Amino acid sequence: MGASSAIAPRIHQALADYLKRDVQTITPDQALREDLGLDSMATIELLFRIEEAFDLQIPDGDLQKLVTVANVTAYVEGRLAPASPATPRKPSPKQAAAKPAKRKKN
Amino acid sequence: MKTRVVVTGLGVVSPIGIGVPIFWKAALEGRSGITAIPPFGDLPLEAYRCRVAGQVTGFESVRFPESVNPDRVDRYAQFALVATQEALADSGLRMDREPPHRVGVIVGAGMGGMVMGEREITQLYQSLKPNRVHPNFIPTITLNSASGIVAMACGAKGPNLTISTACSSSAHALGQALTCIRSGQADVVITAGADASITPLVFAGFCSLRVLSTGFNEEPERASRPFDLARDGFVMGEGAGALILESLAHAKKRKARIYAEVAGYAATSEAYHMVIPREDGTDVAATMKLALDDADVTPAQVDYINAHATSTPIGDAVEAKAIRRLFKTRADRILINASKSLIGHTLGAAGAMGAIASSLALETGQVHPTANYENSDPACALAGISRDTQERPLKVALLNAFGFGSNNAALVLKRFA
Repeated sequence: MGASSAIAPRIHQALADYLKRDVQTITPDQALREDLGLDSMATIELLFRIEEAFDLQIPDGDLQKLVTVANVTAYVEGRLAPASPATPRKPSPKQAAAKPAKRKKN
Repeated sequence: MKTRVVVTGLGVVSPIGIGVPIFWKAALEGRSGITAIPPFGDLPLEAYRCRVAGQVTGFESVRFPESVNPDRVDRYAQFALVATQEALADSGLRMDREPPHRVGVIVGAGMGGMVMGEREITQLYQSLKPNRVHPNFIPTITLNSASGIVAMACGAKGPNLTISTACSSSAHALGQALTCIRSGQADVVITAGADASITPLVFAGFCSLRVLSTGFNEEPERASRPFDLARDGFVMGEGAGALILESLAHAKKRKARIYAEVAGYAATSEAYHMVIPREDGTDVAATMKLALDDADVTPAQVDYINAHATSTPIGDAVEAKAIRRLFKTRADRILINASKSLIGHTLGAAGAMGAIASSLALETGQVHPTANYENSDPACALAGISRDTQERPLKVALLNAFGFGSNNAALVLKRFA
């Protein structure tokens, strides 16, 4: 839960900043598209900020997994802790960091 | 009665060849011009999500007309220059016999002189020497440098215009050339589309926009796959296409070879979103219908569609939906192909490339393959798409081109009779 408690507020804050609204109005169960009104371009802009904030590269193929705010949080947590049970594949953090593109399926 | 306008000359610089005969042979063979991009200087190539593009090769050995200095313009304008020279020669038009003010030039370009643009900006910020910015920087990046140098090369003193509507630029250039001749402003319009922006910054920008294919970096020739189930984004291309448009009366008077008639044109805005098409396809369908109306053609008469089809998941599905919406049951009886499957998305040149493929299809009855069309996607399944060359007598062709900025264009070409 340590990672979660650190990451979730930052993602909620990033969303609030992007949407120019109070962070208290962002909840984990909200859908990015239906509830927060993010179209595909807006989602890409948001993820651009999140990539910057967490020093990540998010492959195109992973975008479809990111439907809700909680999905984004869980995804970032998984990417930052690749050895955790959330992402059992690729046990070596070095491997995952060195070749992020290999995670893409198509 | 509208003035009839015809295509009398073609020229091309493309990732599958320089010159129309080479281009058309490669197109009919379904050959891909998509290859891996070389590194951009010291920039880490792996940081580019997409690492494939449709690149023009062999351009170093091309000869330019002696009347102009090609070093004064950027790569895209050099492409336009070479393509228009071929088209002019192909048309047999003798500029020394034409009243110069009756010959116009209209060029479509989406990005313009980005090779020099990026280089000079980089050097300025690295050197901190504003007094070392190249004196030719401004004339080179000015977006009408291509239409300017084309006119200089051949002495065309009529209307000289540049259309910049992103990926629909040269479809609109052709449409505006049609309008120009119909209105009586010119007898002939040298029309082209050109772009050459496989450059470090522009390419990175398209990567960040997440519109490029990223799943085929190890198999470049498979990356551009319009309408296919596994498509995952477009592949950037570069090049130029040129068409000589002239009034039928003018063409007949000089006994010109006629490839096709340009019979209709529509220009619309979806007034919707900078980069996302309206998903129900209504605006695309309306654009196609307006172009058909302008040509006095009904949907039932259309034999062939050169689709915009860039190979993005959403774009191809919307276009297919629009085709089905307008053509209803006939949608599956129309031959459809995507030139971008061979050469990638040449941005501002795309409409002209499609118009060249359409003109040749109408003349020869051959529709080039849609490369990599292996498995149909229920979201855009149309029976007339094939990865093989299709042959059938064709009378009416429709060409689509859509651009960022909510911009749509459609053209109707007819077999000349």
